[in-house]
Amino acid sequence: MLNINSERLPSWPEPRRVARRDFIVGGALLTFTLAGCERKLTPAQARAAAVPFLALDAGAVAVLDALGDILLPGSSATGLSHYIDHQLSGDDADSMLMIKYLGVPAPFTGFYESGLRAADALAHAVYGKAFPGLSNEQASALVTRMSGGRVEGWQGPPAGLFYFVLRNDAVDVVYGTSAGFEQLGVPYMAHIEPPSRWGE
Amino acid sequence: MTTPRPTPASLPRDPVDVIVVGSGAAGSNVAAHLAEGGKQVLILEAGPARGPGHLISSTLYARRVKWTGPPVLDEGKNPVGFVFNSAYGTGGAAMHHYAVWPRMHPEDFDMHSRHNRGLDWPLKYVDLAPHYDKVQQEAGVSGDATREIWRPPGAPYPMPGVPVFPQGSAIARGFAKLGRTVAPLPLAVTSTNYNGRPTCLWDGWCDSGCPIGALANPLTVHLPRAASAGAQLVNDAAVTKVLTSDDGTRAIGVEVALKDGTRQTVNARLVVLAAFAVENPRLLLASATAKHPRGLGNSGGFVGRYVMTHAAGLVYGLFDEDTRPYMGAFGGQLVNQDSYPKTTHAKSGAFGSYQWMIAQAVKPNDLLGISTSRPDVFGPALHDFMKRATRGFAGMTAVCEDLPVADNRITLTDQRDTHGVPIARVTHTTHDESVALWKASLAEGKEVMRAAGANEVWTGPQGSMHIMGGTVMGSSASNSVTNGFGQLHDIPNLVVAGPGLFPTSAGVNPTFTVHALAARSAEHLLTNWKQVAG
Repeated sequence: MLNINSERLPSWPEPRRVARRDFIVGGALLTFTLAGCERKLTPAQARAAAVPFLALDAGAVAVLDALGDILLPGSSATGLSHYIDHQLSGDDADSMLMIKYLGVPAPFTGFYESGLRAADALAHAVYGKAFPGLSNEQASALVTRMSGGRVEGWQGPPAGLFYFVLRNDAVDVVYGTSAGFEQLGVPYMAHIEPPSRWGE
Repeated sequence: MTTPRPTPASLPRDPVDVIVVGSGAAGSNVAAHLAEGGKQVLILEAGPARGPGHLISSTLYARRVKWTGPPVLDEGKNPVGFVFNSAYGTGGAAMHHYAVWPRMHPEDFDMHSRHNRGLDWPLKYVDLAPHYDKVQQEAGVSGDATREIWRPPGAPYPMPGVPVFPQGSAIARGFAKLGRTVAPLPLAVTSTNYNGRPTCLWDGWCDSGCPIGALANPLTVHLPRAASAGAQLVNDAAVTKVLTSDDGTRAIGVEVALKDGTRQTVNARLVVLAAFAVENPRLLLASATAKHPRGLGNSGGFVGRYVMTHAAGLVYGLFDEDTRPYMGAFGGQLVNQDSYPKTTHAKSGAFGSYQWMIAQAVKPNDLLGISTSRPDVFGPALHDFMKRATRGFAGMTAVCEDLPVADNRITLTDQRDTHGVPIARVTHTTHDESVALWKASLAEGKEVMRAAGANEVWTGPQGSMHIMGGTVMGSSASNSVTNGFGQLHDIPNLVVAGPGLFPTSAGVNPTFTVHALAARSAEHLLTNWKQVAG
């Protein structure tokens, strides 16, 4: 077992109280609430169905989508924002976000909100416009600066750590599922389901 | 074979023979052996009940089994990575361990005497060897004792070496070109059917926890044995304090906080703390009394000191050939221990041992996945890298010894968990000679990868593997917390089990040694039961 050490972090504000939604064990589907009914959807389907966000506000989601597509093109359409929002609005003990490995205490909503705000503020400071309004070249230049970890005036979680976390979230959503493995030609060799639940 | 089913949180009112705190590698081993020796054993597990059905083959779901207990402040220049390196629930951290089970070497046990570095163990390799032999038979270890030219004396492995896939062959070529050799990595994973357990499918899902019984985790080996011998396992039972007699000479039981918020006392003749390297000292410190004002077992001031974690020397290469890097076990396929002698890299200012774990199975994502090996790459280049690396990726990891430093330690903070117990702070900064060893491993690893014909070669940052020390064993209270059987010098019927006992970290993975020490302790406790617990 191994952990890549992260930079140290301050603590983050408490998230808003949100309803808990559960994952369905055994698949890539999440349980989302849509029009009062629980439905099992992939993050991409949740995005297509415009499932309301519970943890992140619209401004944060817009920055998250834009950043996600710079980090890993196509990740927003794969449902990056819905995936992260789903995890943030559930029970921290059940969280599947990589951030939990990196020395940041739960809850994690504040980490995302602060990081997204800082990225947007950086866009305003450097280019005079919001992050979602940047060209690809402009946004990539800012992400390169974030990845280096030292961004003047940055006010949020350490820029390098925020880059690392969000980049890996995008990879999780795009390549961390059986569909993602298939895109790469990696056999998933999925869930070992022994005939009689071995050992129980 | 059966896994103990979660029992309702009903705790015995009468004293039991033994309370074991924690159900991981150490706790399950001690519990099985003491229960089979006729003792009434109660295992108290702070985390939730987990069975094979919880071990979903997914890098994302795997994160659910990691630590979600009371927060631990993970500090210092090189934090130990507590959440990733531990777990919460039945089976503890060993439920998702990678089952790399090499033995420590004789020179690991008397490093201070030989080299004036670190600490001496209160036992020698020969004292532990019979217990390595016994445990490897119980748990099932695959390996090739003949090809493993560095291996200390011991019984041959009960199963043949694990298979080698193209990733392993590619890296082995590099070692061969440099005139060096590799051997099958000793793994507690089935290379054949073993005691009713099926052969591994080599699908690389070890980090998610093995649900088929191929990997020797506590759910598969020692918890079923403990249950068959009558041991009781209670989940969601957080021990908040170890209780001692008025005169302070004996442990008399524990205070337990249950999920429903109630708190109960359970009495026992023997208490075994097997709650891993951070929680054990936290409990000892939090159980201070008038007779033990600095915490239990802490008359010499050593509780919490000498915390260690292996620095991971991560070396990667990209090959033209299809390495099928997703095949095999998460721990790897091959081993090389040429750098085991402690002064091998002395010219680089380094001290200590390391071994290579070669050709670990990788998934596209996650902390040890393909994508994270190149954290600098993003955008369209990341898609391109993922496609290329899926075909030609290869990696190996040096397990670099961490010299014990007294100030790398676990202390209590003024923050408290939901049960009112102070939470722990772990501070760890790697010793300069250990950092030099890690750097030497990277230089050597790059040479091997280039010799193997990799087109691109790169290395990763210093990671933290495993957590050891904090309740080290030694010859007396003037240099340690426990004796060679894990008994507190100050309170002999309070026993510590697990990697926290290690006075040195060695250059190999700790779990096999955790088991061997636990088996040795259990044997000693049974043999001397009247004296210890009577």
